[in-house]
Amino acid sequence: MEKKTNTWKLKEIILVAMTCIVFGVVYLAAVYLASFIASALTPFGLSPLGNELVFGVWFMAATLSGYILQKPSAAIVSEVIASVIEVLLGNWFGPMVIVAGIIQGAGAEIVFAANKYRKFDGMVMYFASAGACVTSFLWSFVRSGYGKFSIPFLVMLFVIRLISSLVFSGFICKMTGDGLARMGLLKGYELGRSHE
Amino acid sequence: MKKLNPGWKLLSLIIASLLLSTTFHIRLNLLVAAACLTVTFCTPGVDRRRLLLSMIPFLLAALGMFTAGLCFGSGGGTEGVSVSAFGQRTLYASNLTTAMQLSSRILAYGGLGMLYAFTSNAFELVMSLMQQFKLPPKFAYGILAAYHFFPVVQEEYFIVGSALKVRGVKAGPVSPKRLFPMLVQAMERSESLAMAMESRGFEENAPRAVAFSVPVGLADYLFLAGLNGAILAGLTLL
Repeated sequence: MEKKTNTWKLKEIILVAMTCIVFGVVYLAAVYLASFIASALTPFGLSPLGNELVFGVWFMAATLSGYILQKPSAAIVSEVIASVIEVLLGNWFGPMVIVAGIIQGAGAEIVFAANKYRKFDGMVMYFASAGACVTSFLWSFVRSGYGKFSIPFLVMLFVIRLISSLVFSGFICKMTGDGLARMGLLKGYELGRSHE
Repeated sequence: MKKLNPGWKLLSLIIASLLLSTTFHIRLNLLVAAACLTVTFCTPGVDRRRLLLSMIPFLLAALGMFTAGLCFGSGGGTEGVSVSAFGQRTLYASNLTTAMQLSSRILAYGGLGMLYAFTSNAFELVMSLMQQFKLPPKFAYGILAAYHFFPVVQEEYFIVGSALKVRGVKAGPVSPKRLFPMLVQAMERSESLAMAMESRGFEENAPRAVAFSVPVGLADYLFLAGLNGAILAGLTLL
């Protein structure tokens, strides 16, 4: 068995970048949906909820790549690649997306690192999603000024974001990762080897 | 604006955004937003119609934050003038300040983001990240290779959607049923892309010559210092 290394191979980078592109497209579709919901909720002052609903899609690149490559720095590097691609595509939040990418990736990375990059099961995936959710929520305090909201509203936002990240980057990523491995597409990567 | 080095411009704007996130300065935020949008609008060669169109979601987001701040702000000061314009809910003047703080910040970020998005070129940014910020070439070209697949993948999204519809499968916009076939394609494509790059002589650690040099000059340093100096001055003086 190949030793786990910290260096990145070209094919791994392209794999991550392609995954990010797919999630980028899906995210775009999700954003249309979310902004529709958000606009509908604006008169009630609930519009941040629309964004929170699809927040989990943001972390999918980090958790799925972490799951497939199973090596140190996979989650954080892929989240940064995802954010660079987001900037290349002209996201109107612009340059700040990169900072957000580092922070969200770090959230998932911490969880993978805590398990020494050895254990990759459903529980770890859910915790990694929750980790990204928590760091991104802390970042929202700095970036969007969430400190200005009242506590009950914050709790509601957090719970929705947590559910969203558990569903998207936890459940769906685990399922698709396993599915891809079963199809034999990931033979060259860590996850595919563990499925053999 | 378009002649600035994209990497340095990115750095300047990130620092500017971080500076803005340290405080809630309504007037400064609005000023930054207005200045950025004016500069973007006046830059020659900018697609002005697209700029105006892309203002819509961003104004909606700001409006959304405004009402959210209004209804759920933590200010809740009782000394303010109470307004009962929105039905029976009692609103306080301090909540209005919160609402302004939150939404003006969205506007300021949006302004900075637009300034970047409309005056920069993706290819040049990656080249600049590689040449000035030591991004390893394998990442730079890997990202670029995948980036150029964006339109293909976008089309694929709709193709997969129609394919599912034909078979009578119901799938929402972010359903895993849609995601999975796209990821399968992505995996296969990434393998062949990497193989293609390597077979054409792309070596990971070989020294590279630069065909497109993205220069960095005095103007870039001045932009970094000027923009952030102005914001710092605004933070202390305004």
